[in-house]
Formats: sequence, C-alpha cells, structure tokens
Amino acid sequence: MDQVRIIEIKEGVFEQNNQKAQELRDSLKQEKVFLLNLMSAPGSGKTTTLVQTIKGLQDEMKIGIMEADIDSDVDARTIQQTGARVVQLHTGGMCHLDAEMTRQGIDALGREDLDLIVLENVGNLVCPAEFDTGSTKNAMILSVPEGDDKPLKYPLMFAVADVVLVNKMDVAEHFDFDLERFKDNVRLRNPEAIILPISARTGEGMEPWLDWLRQQIERQQ
Amino acid sequence: MHELGIMFEVIKRVEAVAKQHQVDRVEKIVLQVGEIATVIPHFLRECYPVAVDRTDFVDTELVIEMIPANGCCRQCDIVYHLMKDEGRCPNCHQMNFDELSGREFSIKEIVVAEGGKNGSSPNY
Repeated sequence: MDQVRIIEIKEGVFEQNNQKAQELRDSLKQEKVFLLNLMSAPGSGKTTTLVQTIKGLQDEMKIGIMEADIDSDVDARTIQQTGARVVQLHTGGMCHLDAEMTRQGIDALGREDLDLIVLENVGNLVCPAEFDTGSTKNAMILSVPEGDDKPLKYPLMFAVADVVLVNKMDVAEHFDFDLERFKDNVRLRNPEAIILPISARTGEGMEPWLDWLRQQIERQQ
Repeated sequence: MHELGIMFEVIKRVEAVAKQHQVDRVEKIVLQVGEIATVIPHFLRECYPVAVDRTDFVDTELVIEMIPANGCCRQCDIVYHLMKDEGRCPNCHQMNFDELSGREFSIKEIVVAEGGKNGSSPNY
C-alpha cells in the first residue's frame, strides 16, 4: 500500500494578487502617480465620462489611460482623440483585470511623467470588484437606466467604490429612478461612499467629480 | 471564464508545492470556498479537467469544502449568517456589517501518496 500524507498549504488563492496590488500601490505612491480604477456595467458611460474628465483636467496635469476590454480597441480610439496617452489592454476572455495585468499595462503606458492614470476596467459589475488592481482609489459608474436597486444586487461593487458616479441624470425623468432611494441602497453597504450625480453628455455635475480627483491627486504628490 | 483562469493558478501553485516536497503522486487537492466568494464550486469543478489536462494531476481528485458566510452587525454586535434575509441583521435589519467569513478561497492542502506501486521515481 502507498503511504498517504497531507501537505498543508493554507494559502488564499487571491492572496498573491492582493500582495502584488499592494506593491503596485506603494510604488505608485512613491512615484507620485495617482491610479484610478474605473468600473461599471457595459453601456453606463465609462468612456464618455472619461473623455469629459480628460477635457476638464488635461490643462492641469498629465493623464494616461488604460483601456481594458475582452477584445477590440474602439474605446482606446475614442480616448486617443482627446490627446491623452492611451494603451489598450486585452484580457483575452477574462472578465476582470488583476494587479499583474495592471502593472504590465502601466509599464506599457510609461508612468514617469504622469500625474493621473485611469484604468477603464472591463464592463462588468461582478468580477472587477473582486480583484484588487493596485489602484489608489476605486470609482464606479451607475447609469440611471440601470435602476436604483443595483447596490442590492451587486453589493461588493458598491462596497469597494470610494466614489459612485450616477450618470445619465439628464434622462432621469424618463426612468423610474429615485436618487434618494439609490443613495440609501449604496449606504447600506458603504456608508462612506461619495455619491455624485452627473451627466457626462451634458457636462452637468462634472465639477464636483473633477474637484474630488484634483484633491486626491494633490494628496498623492 | 473567471474560474478557468483561477483553476490554472491553483494548479500552478500545487505543482510548485508538489515539486518542493518531491511527492510521487497527488491524490487529492482540497480547496476551501466561502459561500459568498465569487468563485462558484460548480464552475470550479467544470473547469478542473481542463486545467489539469496534460499535467500530472489528471487522476487527482478535487475536493471543495464550503465555509459559511458570517457577519457581525456594527450596531448590534451580533454575529449572524449572511445568507439569510439578504444579509440583514436579525435585530436591526440593517446591512451594516463586518464580514467575518465567507469570502475565502484557498488551497487548504494536498493529499499525497508516496512509494508508487511500481517503485517509480517522482515525476516532478
């Protein structure tokens, strides 16, 4: 008979990612680069919001963008038209980015002269929330047509977000969306979240969002 | 999608441990998965044969142990099971809790057999 023995491993499968994420966060802090991880469902207006954000800040600072998608480069082309430096990352079928992929993206982008890097994560309210990318802060966008009940359905996404942007406020009257109910739903899981209603299309509400970013970037300096 | 990439990572780690301990054969890989971890045991099992294809673990059994999701209410200081009533505290009905468990996803251990039947040397 074969002898059987047990080798204890007791290692979190995500621990390696968390460790890499922390290393990346620390090195960015030292280099005075602020990394924002921007997450949302597909179609909520991440790219439009990003274009408006770049327009609002590009005279004050140097900005780099990482576009993460399963495939295609349509978003990267849209961003490129703003004049910001951009790299397209393909996840090859994966539904999220992890810290190692984020680091590789930053290396491809080149970080030395940048003040702000935004990672536009894969459009998905589930998996990106589960993987620490090494970002300095997390922001997520919830657009009005998605409904005010989403914090109840995707609690982790709302729990990891430092800022929640409520986009497409310009069409709110056409939808059964209650902003106060939405805020209550977010605060059930994340009492500290900053909730900012915006319309990336009309530019409404963008200034408080840009101010929050300016403050954060200043803190990183 | 998510589970397959993760299973490859698990197998890589197990391979490294097996090599380090110079084991003959791995009989079982034991994982622990929390009830609210976003890896789903069913999908882990589905992805497993793909992840072990062309490795030394083709005949290795995958064992998944579940860990209950518990939270502690920040207001009432009560520990409760998060899978009931949408994670609301049974006392104040709020969802303002610290997670105590349930998001784990770890490689607990491997069960190895030593002294192969043909006295074969380690494959690793």
